[in-house]
Amino acid sequence: MRGANAALGTAGLAAFLALGEVAPRLGLVKAAYFPPTSRIADALGQEATDGAFWAALGDTLTGWALGLATAVVAGVVVGLVVSVVPYLREATASTIEFLRPIPSVALIPLAVLLYGTELRSVLLLVVYASFWQVLVQVLYGVRDVDPVAEETARSYGLGPWARTRHVLWPTALPYVMTGVRLAAAVALILAVTAELVIGAPGLGARIAVAQSSQAVPDLYALVVVTGLLGLLINVGARAVERRALAWHQSVRGEVAV
Amino acid sequence: MRRLLAGLAVGTFLVAASACGSSDDSGTSDMGTSSGGTTTVKVGIIPIVDVAPLYLGRQKGFYGKRGLKLSMTTAQGGAAIVPGVVSGQFQFGFSNMTSLMIARSQNVPVKAVANGVASTGLAGKDFGAITVKKGSALTSAKDLEGKKVAVNTLKNINETAVRESVRKAGGDPSKVKFVELAFDQMPAALDSGQIDAAMVVEPALATVKSQGGTEIASSLVDVAKDLTVAMYFTSTQYEQKNPDVVKRFQEATAESLAYADAHPDEVRSIVTSYTKIPAAVLAKVTLPKWPAEPNRASIEALEKLGEQDGLFKSAPDLDALLP
Repeated sequence: MRGANAALGTAGLAAFLALGEVAPRLGLVKAAYFPPTSRIADALGQEATDGAFWAALGDTLTGWALGLATAVVAGVVVGLVVSVVPYLREATASTIEFLRPIPSVALIPLAVLLYGTELRSVLLLVVYASFWQVLVQVLYGVRDVDPVAEETARSYGLGPWARTRHVLWPTALPYVMTGVRLAAAVALILAVTAELVIGAPGLGARIAVAQSSQAVPDLYALVVVTGLLGLLINVGARAVERRALAWHQSVRGEVAV
Repeated sequence: MRRLLAGLAVGTFLVAASACGSSDDSGTSDMGTSSGGTTTVKVGIIPIVDVAPLYLGRQKGFYGKRGLKLSMTTAQGGAAIVPGVVSGQFQFGFSNMTSLMIARSQNVPVKAVANGVASTGLAGKDFGAITVKKGSALTSAKDLEGKKVAVNTLKNINETAVRESVRKAGGDPSKVKFVELAFDQMPAALDSGQIDAAMVVEPALATVKSQGGTEIASSLVDVAKDLTVAMYFTSTQYEQKNPDVVKRFQEATAESLAYADAHPDEVRSIVTSYTKIPAAVLAKVTLPKWPAEPNRASIEALEKLGEQDGLFKSAPDLDALLP
């Protein structure tokens, strides 16, 4: 079953790439704006031999990783504190709902004023966007704690720390991991966007240069790289999730099927 | 309570963001301070042919011998450059004259310090032009009445220039429908008929021409002979605090501009170091002019046209803006 799925997936991708090759060659789309797959692959090969490309990739990954780590830690800590401290949740709910929908890209002018085109500009946007993904999941996760389990723990005399460790955290963890997975993807999107718009060093800035240089195949090659990066990050996040939740029935169930 | 928490939340991000960024502080912050007799200055530029003299001057040591180390930061247009310079993230920036005059008229404290780039002044042989697609019925700027014309930024230098071309050709610029489109998207939009004409600059101009498109007016030439299109600028605050650095930057830039003007082949080769313009396109690109000094008469002409089009809230003070 697995093999058949993989084969189908490969066939689908191959068909897509073939379509990308054939359409411009037949003149269905203009080759000047949609270069055939082989031209993009060629440009990708040239990128791979360029040290500046790897430096840009490194910059993007640095912004992504630092931003994501900050957002996850801040999201978990703030989420737990807000949930556990009485009344804090009610007091912050509307503020969170007010801040959360603000698109991170709307903070670009602020980022430029504060940090110019430095890494910190990227981090500001990445952290702002991915923080909410984690925070909201933590809030839901804590709310999901079984009151009976909580009361049982209380009646056995477990202190606040022990209850957090043995009741709250195991319940919330699946939610947290979902939040981390979502945040990982959002962080990449924001990192590339920030580079593209602000000009902070990274793949996004390189895409912008290719764009203004009329280097169309290079542009698509770099877009493909960001796509691959997104794919890898998602696969990685799922692996982390499976490992962290190996004990949880959602994952155990998956394995059993 | 709520406000406090919001403040705390926002503060957390800022602290977190800056804490994370501090690892790279060593090299990037405190720019503009000298170390070992060399002053590092950050220059916000757009990665286009126009700024080639800076790269060339850095390579040739024109800045180094004056104790300046240039750190070029590419930004996507003036949206990041002007605030970057005003907030002190960059010491210098590159911007077109209309943007600088608009900033000045809104009391944004910018000060032009060195010439940037000028039109070639030759109609039909400039680095920017109004273009139409192959076989278009439009042959002069007058024909643009009622047509869709793309400019990279509305209410800015290129719109002013197109209006002037239409006016000079005997047309009514108020009948032109302007649409905003990035330069790099113009060739495709022109080709597919989404727009009737486009005010493009290099390298998009070379791309349009390679598709059989033709020029119908050299708008930058129509504004004024030898138009000063863009300049390097700083903030008035930085200029007042560091007159010596500004002076050295001015001198080194003037030397770089003169050198670039005299060595077009070296310009074409250095452009490949910071853009990705394909070799075939680069060979066909019309280079701009790089006079060492700005042309004040042309800037006054641009200001007059800008006022006519209502770009300025109040007339910008050119004496305060120009070096």
